[in-house]
Amino acid sequence: MTDAVSSDKAVHDEGGMAYLTSLPRKVVTIYIPLAIFIFVLLFPFYWMTVVAIKPDGELIEQGANPFWVDNPTLDHIRHLLFETSYPHWLWNTMLVATVSTFLSLFCAVLAAYAIERLRYTGSRYVGMGIFLAYLVPPSILFIPLSIMVQAYGVRDTPLALILTYPTFLIPFSTWLLMGYFRSIPYELEECALIDGASRLQILTKITLPLAVPGLISAGIFAFTLSWNEFIYALTFIDASENKTVPVAIVTELVTGDIYAWGSLMAGALLGSLPVAILYSFFVDHYVSSMTGAVKE
Amino acid sequence: MSNFTRRNVLKTGAGLAATGALASKGLIRPAFAQDMSFTPEDGASLRVLRWSKFVQGDEDLFLQNVAKFTEMTGVQVQVDNESWEDVRPKAAVAANVGSGPDIIFGWYDDPHQYPDKLVDLTDLCDYLGGKYGGWFDAAQTYGMRDGRWIGMPWGASGNCLVYRKSWAEEAGFSEWPSDTEGLLEVMRAMSANGHPPGFALGNAVGDGNTWTHWALWSHGGKMVDENNTVVLNSPETIAALNYVKQMYETFIPGTISWLDPNNNRAFLSGQISLTANGISVFYAAKNSDDPAIREMADDIYHANMPIGPVGTHSELHLFTQAMVFNYTQYPNACKEFLRFIMEWDQYQPWQAAAEGYICHPLQAYDENPIWTADVRNTPYRDCIRNMLYNGYSGSLGYASAAAMADYIVVNMFAEAASGAKSPEDAAADAHRRAERYYRI
Repeated sequence: MTDAVSSDKAVHDEGGMAYLTSLPRKVVTIYIPLAIFIFVLLFPFYWMTVVAIKPDGELIEQGANPFWVDNPTLDHIRHLLFETSYPHWLWNTMLVATVSTFLSLFCAVLAAYAIERLRYTGSRYVGMGIFLAYLVPPSILFIPLSIMVQAYGVRDTPLALILTYPTFLIPFSTWLLMGYFRSIPYELEECALIDGASRLQILTKITLPLAVPGLISAGIFAFTLSWNEFIYALTFIDASENKTVPVAIVTELVTGDIYAWGSLMAGALLGSLPVAILYSFFVDHYVSSMTGAVKE
Repeated sequence: MSNFTRRNVLKTGAGLAATGALASKGLIRPAFAQDMSFTPEDGASLRVLRWSKFVQGDEDLFLQNVAKFTEMTGVQVQVDNESWEDVRPKAAVAANVGSGPDIIFGWYDDPHQYPDKLVDLTDLCDYLGGKYGGWFDAAQTYGMRDGRWIGMPWGASGNCLVYRKSWAEEAGFSEWPSDTEGLLEVMRAMSANGHPPGFALGNAVGDGNTWTHWALWSHGGKMVDENNTVVLNSPETIAALNYVKQMYETFIPGTISWLDPNNNRAFLSGQISLTANGISVFYAAKNSDDPAIREMADDIYHANMPIGPVGTHSELHLFTQAMVFNYTQYPNACKEFLRFIMEWDQYQPWQAAAEGYICHPLQAYDENPIWTADVRNTPYRDCIRNMLYNGYSGSLGYASAAAMADYIVVNMFAEAASGAKSPEDAAADAHRRAERYYRI
């Protein structure tokens, strides 16, 4: 008994991840959870791919294996790319998501920095207020926003979305960046202040370079939220040529109660690729922003 | 406000040319009296929002008619499409914001949500009704409020029984029953033969609402009386729930979660023998790339929803009507456009191109040859003739729309059929839910 306790203690005393070195433990604690996690994350993509290349006959065939394709076809993808305006919708979505993300990040950086560092009276409440603004659902906001969109004369243009998406992107990004700025040691800024740097110089030359992982994290979130947004895109855009992917594929590929599943899944799959590619480029920064920022 | 002029015969050249083409195909144009038109405002141009096509022919002919209208009047028309379930929020926004498309083709009781935001279409609808044999009752109910027309009925996507004829015959039914008891018998027999029916009992906007309202009304149940007092919890409603519970026992498993596309897929894959649906199943089978499914089309037949204890037809269908918003700068151009597309020369070929998807609100269009070109089309001809309206027998407005949007009737039937609640409890709960809306 004493030996067993000593042995356990020895293992823990070795420190770090040593207790994971035995294969059975690795299987139970790492590989199985990882496999489940990967399965859950990748299954939707697999499903979209399978449906996108399945011929119509197999899609409705009774008893056909839903997880496999016997006679793959590119017809659905061809229809989507060459017989609809999908490339144009993709471009619209990209334009709106990119511009609204940069616009929101710009505003969010200024807001988060001011709230975290300027420490004026009520800054905490402003931070809380911004977060609460994020909680207001778009289904309540879209009618008042419609009035503003109309008043500015930007209805049925990409600007309608570029200017309205920040209403939910800025609160979210600000809240995220506030947390990140808080983790950057204040002493660095104090040193810069002693050296005579202005607030703007501190922000651009000290804080922002250190906050790149946080900016990327907020940027990815903002981009993804813009990319997937539905209700504003539905409400503020009328013309087919100005629509974004989430709205356009439903309009064009659902005819009454007949769903063009193959093309719908192809559209969803192709539409998710830009976000996945963007994420893959910045995954290291993204993870570091999630796991902690600059250490003192 | 409107300018009425005699229709200039020369201006109708293009329309007559189309009619000539129709006649050359052996289709005879019935003679209709009186013509009228509205003179579009100078420099008018229109934006029209409609639900996206149900079939390609619908869109093609609609756009052809639009082009013809532009050619005749000089009025440019931009047509935008939205998925049929997404038109309603856009129409609501347009009404509230006071800006948007000049004309929106919406659904059901949409005009009754914002009647003061709409142009009075009484002159137009009186003219069309007078010329084309009158509006069906349900169309009139949906289009009128306080004695004036606030929407122009455009049609309905009918919901009929869609069944496999050979399987019905195999079950001993060479004639399709026309009453609710007969329907139950054929369902039991087909189910016993391994060919179960399946009706959508999930929150299916079209298929779920339409057949469950029929089930309720055919047994004499209704949500509200003429004074908008909720009367849902009644012996008639409980009889309807018991009836559907018996239907459900014959269903294929899983119908509780079915949405609009599920029954189409189940039918085309041969899993079910009977469902309630638009003509889309037949259309998809006819036009499938798969020879086996095309072959199935020969075995697909349709029937109107049967008559229940109440003794008359009591159906609900996906009803669509045009609204002209009073923010438009061109009300006369809007009316002229609507008049133009409803005239026989335009409506008849459009309806034919839609291959039975769209049932007409005007009685004269019973004569459209599309309804007799194939006997399987005929039941869809009578859909608006046979229909009541959501919120029957109260008035249309916020409560009727909200109650349907909340799937009160559908969920009541789903709960009772699945055994989640007894019919009595399901009716009582639905009654309480309905009262929340009708209290306002």
